[in-house]
Amino acid sequence: MSGHRWQRLLSRHPYLFTLLLFAVLLLANRLLQPNLFESRVLSGNFRTFLPLLLLAVGQTLVVIGGGIDLSVGALVSLATAILVTNLLPESGMGAFLAVVGLAALAGMAAGAFNGFCVAVLRLQPIVTTYATAFLFGGVALWLLPRPGGAMPQELAQFYRQQTPLGLPIGVYVIIALLLLWLLLRSTRFGHYLFAVGGQPEAAYTTGVPVTWVRVATYMLSGLMAALAAAALTLGTSSGDPRIGDAMTLDSIVAVVLGGTRLSGGQGGVAGTILGVIVLSLIRNIISFANVPNWWQTLVDALIIVLALAGPALVRLLWRRT
Amino acid sequence: MLMTLSAQHLAKHYGGVTALADGSLEVAAGEVVALVGANGSGKSTLSKIITGVVAPDGGQLLLDGKSVSFAGPPAARARGVTAVYQELSLVPDMSVAENIWLTHEPRWLGLLVNRAAVQAQTARLLALFSGAISARLDPRAPVRDLPPDEKQIVEILKALSRRPRLIILDEATASLDSRQVTRLFDLVADWQVQGKAVIFVSHRMDEIFRLADRIVVLRNGQTVGRLARSEARERDVVALMTGQAAAGAPGDAAVAQETPAAAGEAAGAGSTLLPGAVRLQVDDLRTPNVHGLSLQVHDGELLGLGGLRGQGQEDVLLALFGALPHSGRIRIGGKVAAFRHPQEAMAAGVAYVPGERNAQGLLSIRSILENLQLPSWAGYGLPLRMSAARADGRRVADELAIVMAGLDEPVSSLSGGNAQKVVLGKWLLRSPRLLLLNDPTKGVDVGAKAEIYRLLAALAAAGTAILFYSSDDEELLSLCRRVLVLHDGLLCAELQGPSLTRSQLVAAGMGAVSGETANGEAAGGKADTAAEPGSTP
Repeated sequence: MSGHRWQRLLSRHPYLFTLLLFAVLLLANRLLQPNLFESRVLSGNFRTFLPLLLLAVGQTLVVIGGGIDLSVGALVSLATAILVTNLLPESGMGAFLAVVGLAALAGMAAGAFNGFCVAVLRLQPIVTTYATAFLFGGVALWLLPRPGGAMPQELAQFYRQQTPLGLPIGVYVIIALLLLWLLLRSTRFGHYLFAVGGQPEAAYTTGVPVTWVRVATYMLSGLMAALAAAALTLGTSSGDPRIGDAMTLDSIVAVVLGGTRLSGGQGGVAGTILGVIVLSLIRNIISFANVPNWWQTLVDALIIVLALAGPALVRLLWRRT
Repeated sequence: MLMTLSAQHLAKHYGGVTALADGSLEVAAGEVVALVGANGSGKSTLSKIITGVVAPDGGQLLLDGKSVSFAGPPAARARGVTAVYQELSLVPDMSVAENIWLTHEPRWLGLLVNRAAVQAQTARLLALFSGAISARLDPRAPVRDLPPDEKQIVEILKALSRRPRLIILDEATASLDSRQVTRLFDLVADWQVQGKAVIFVSHRMDEIFRLADRIVVLRNGQTVGRLARSEARERDVVALMTGQAAAGAPGDAAVAQETPAAAGEAAGAGSTLLPGAVRLQVDDLRTPNVHGLSLQVHDGELLGLGGLRGQGQEDVLLALFGALPHSGRIRIGGKVAAFRHPQEAMAAGVAYVPGERNAQGLLSIRSILENLQLPSWAGYGLPLRMSAARADGRRVADELAIVMAGLDEPVSSLSGGNAQKVVLGKWLLRSPRLLLLNDPTKGVDVGAKAEIYRLLAALAAAGTAILFYSSDDEELLSLCRRVLVLHDGLLCAELQGPSLTRSQLVAAGMGAVSGETANGEAAGGKADTAAEPGSTP
């Protein structure tokens, strides 16, 4: 009986297990790193995962719409290259916004290309975006052959040091993202997104513009990749043309941890945000737990596999008893 | 303005296949036209052309006297033409309300969806079926949790939410129970008064005669008859559908009515003459929807499971096939069977023919041969002896009279009735000792139904124990000697001999005799036999 109830709860709130994991990890992290909740440390942590968070939110939209975007990492690299080659240490706010706008347009154009291939040409999303990732990554390397470039000093300083009302800037970004998500869910597009991901044929016969919705998800993912690049470069003040490579799969892990179903039609941004935080807590704990370097990747991978398998394991145990 | 729609000589070809050669029909506001024909006669194609899903390659469509061509379903809907299809157009993960209003959600300032209005308007639509649906059917309920009948009702309400002027009901009653059908027919009567036009596609003769003002008959893609209900006789319609002259012997014309009965006689005769050993003994079976059920099936018996939809019948079949966790004692052929996986059940000679044939019974893009042999490949060695597999597949296909271009054609090329025969055939290859059937004739045309009945009778005569759930009372009455009626996961009546009558079946299905099953049964049977002669004129 209680197993049944747990299953229903889990199916209604698929990120419940991740929430549990979050509590445990937070506690563990606090034990290992006593100053975790100090404003400076907290702000640093938020800065570390904010780029992945923005990226994973974009990925969430694509996945809910029934697709997947393996080119997001390359798009971060591309946007990074655009940002650092067009900005100077002394650039002001206006120039910065203009260049971010340019990067955002590039990201959306690249996303439109992905969307065209997937929705209009009907190519398989996994292979298509895997291939376009090389295309976008190549352009990034052409723009910025080796790490370097610059970001506006003042803005970077502000981003790193300011904590309005004592809270890291990342907190405000998360609140803004959640509000935008709630807004999106109440629009017709929000309904279309879930319909297209859940049962495309049914959506089509009902008159939902399926092709357009799919293209839009990839464009939004490209836009979020550009914003992720902006957050990343503000944090490091320079650009690496391969910086996004490792972020693609992390974004997908975060989406799954957040309870969004990879087959589409179900999930949400709130879960993904939780997934990103859990992922970064895992990394944080490993770096503070004095795990030898060569073990780090293994431990990291094991915890992630466990976290992903968690809900299924619980269900399995309940069925046996 | 009142609507008239007139389809004139519409045609549609797919490659070399003619789906519709010359389809014509007219329907006016306030009128119900029944569109009948065997599976594959072009009914679906004709209704898809009218709703803009398919573009015709011949003929024309006139709306209010003017020629129209719809670019797609939205274009047709914009002109007030909409359809309720049997292949459901619902998104399982979305709620009832979200599904009904998808693409025309009430909004604030044309931007944000007005959830309160969506909920309220959905509740108003659901109220049309109040009393015929469970309390679980709430505007916020996810569609995936609903049973098929309630999904169908959501589909009907979705069409209705667009305030159409012409509604096509394509097999809309196939998954509804009798209460829901009655409610739907009341609604259709209201629509007629409101001046809506209705095209009603159905295989059920009694419903056609209850509802339709006129009947249009299709055969082989051609409109072969237009009858007014007042002057039409059932056998005329059947004759037009099958292409056989109605003037012959009455028994010949009423194929649809007579065949299952005759088949039932044969099956019944087998079981009375040779009462076989107990094949299946179930004691106190419990699943999420079944709360303690006991039953027995003998070799050569065709035991019916009846009752309203979703009373646990499917759970019983799935549990027996090892596909659903359950408790209770099951013995098959005297041996204790606690199957935890369909493979174990198959090894013990159990076969299950699922209800949702497209989702659970068939790999629609794979060939007919592959589908037939899917459960049986293990018997053909390594490497597979393909010629033997092909010969066996051919034999079963011939036995079932599957109408097909060849064993290598995909199952998706078959009509509904023939596809259902493939589902049956794949289990026949394994010569099961116990056959479980979940509503096997749903959405199947008259001819294929008759063949399935004949086949079941032959199997029973050969000693196979069959447990048969059907939503069609007629089918149970004519095929089975004994019917168990379930209500709310409990056995509420066991009907056989004189107590197995239509009125008893309907009454038991509604739960009318629940609670006094054990001792009230004999009395109920007697009361019924006493009442029955009086009620027949």
